[in-house]
Amino acid sequence: MTSNKQTLAQQRKMETETGGRQLRMTVYASLMAALTAAGAYMAIPIGPVPIVLQNLFIYLAGLLLGWRWGLASVGVYILAGAFGLPVFAGGLGGIGRIVGPTGGYLIGFLPAVFLIGWISAKRKGNVVYDVVAMIIGTAVIYAMGVSWLKILTGMTWGKTLAVGMLPFLIGDALKIAAAVPISKALRPIVNKTKEA
Amino acid sequence: MAGLTALGYISGSGRLHRWDPRFKIVALIMVSLASLGTSLPVLSGACLLMLMVVIRAGVPPGALMRDLKPVVLLLLFIFLARALVTPGEQLFVLGPWPVTREGVIAGAAICSRLLLVLLAGVAVMASTRLSEIKAAVEWFLKPIPGVPEKRVGTMLSLIVRFLPHILDQARETGEAQRARGIENRKNPFYRVIRFSIPVLRRTFLTADQLALAMEARCYADDRTDAELVSDRSDWILMGTTVLLCLCLLMF
Repeated sequence: MTSNKQTLAQQRKMETETGGRQLRMTVYASLMAALTAAGAYMAIPIGPVPIVLQNLFIYLAGLLLGWRWGLASVGVYILAGAFGLPVFAGGLGGIGRIVGPTGGYLIGFLPAVFLIGWISAKRKGNVVYDVVAMIIGTAVIYAMGVSWLKILTGMTWGKTLAVGMLPFLIGDALKIAAAVPISKALRPIVNKTKEA
Repeated sequence: MAGLTALGYISGSGRLHRWDPRFKIVALIMVSLASLGTSLPVLSGACLLMLMVVIRAGVPPGALMRDLKPVVLLLLFIFLARALVTPGEQLFVLGPWPVTREGVIAGAAICSRLLLVLLAGVAVMASTRLSEIKAAVEWFLKPIPGVPEKRVGTMLSLIVRFLPHILDQARETGEAQRARGIENRKNPFYRVIRFSIPVLRRTFLTADQLALAMEARCYADDRTDAELVSDRSDWILMGTTVLLCLCLLMF
């Protein structure tokens, strides 16, 4: 009887704990989605091309939240934009953005965040895995973004790459390098909930 | 960043405000899609019409102009880029670059296309409460299996709540760092890290407190949402929108 009661109490406790964990991860995923949206406006003004922080937050969503919640975060971000909330770059929302010339990059965020979360979880806290995951994620974003841009504008491959990829590669390398110490600084805050 | 906060809900009781939010979202998506395949004269007419709808919805024109200023600058930039790079019959010369007739037309078409979608978004945001949008999104997601629609609805409202907070934090952090001479640091790597970590730390702590507050108030996924009702006049308005969108696509 006593043992039965104890297990019941334990079960209750576990249930409320997982419930609280779920809620906390929901709030974190929303925060990362909002950061991705805000990241389109945040730029570090250096050199001729300012460094826009948006894909830094995509990397961090994968690294910090893992593939499941990272996917939820990016999915809700795209959904919010599709329903007309002003979350895409330049404040223009609406489904027109997703089918527009830059829509491929937006859709590419989904497989990218999945791959980053999935690969980096193979060896937790291993910098090499994190960096490889982010490089693969970036490649996927560009593969989808540039192909869609080429289909819509009908430019040649060379020109599409010159407009839609090459100018941003240095910034991306910088952001991948920056994501490593940033995720290291933030993981304790997030993991406290993730593993509780 | 005022554009994100000031272009919010404006209370009113006009036809657009009373229109069922589910219809408004469908109409918004239809207008976005219809804008992709139209010519310049029809597009600019549609823009004027949409501008009238926005002003009828109660958005003060002055505030609209002020909030849209960055977007208008962006549109101007896109227009110039198009006008300058498109080959064709030369109209006049701007500095070293020739401006072509085809370029001007293509640029104006793209700008009015973006403006139309933007104005439609403004009209929906101004006439619909966030709780109504949330309820409508949940209604749309309900038939899709494997998607917890209530939680997605909550996440949508959380995003809207977090956005102004994040932008405030980013501005504050940026100002604090400028005051401490961050501009003397030329290393972009250093600056990205020094900017991101404080912003992320602070917003994550806010998120922590928010989750705690929600938990303390017994937050659960099954919540009562805004009630959605539609009647015949909603359908009539929808029919009119469908016709107008078809006109956009035809001509």
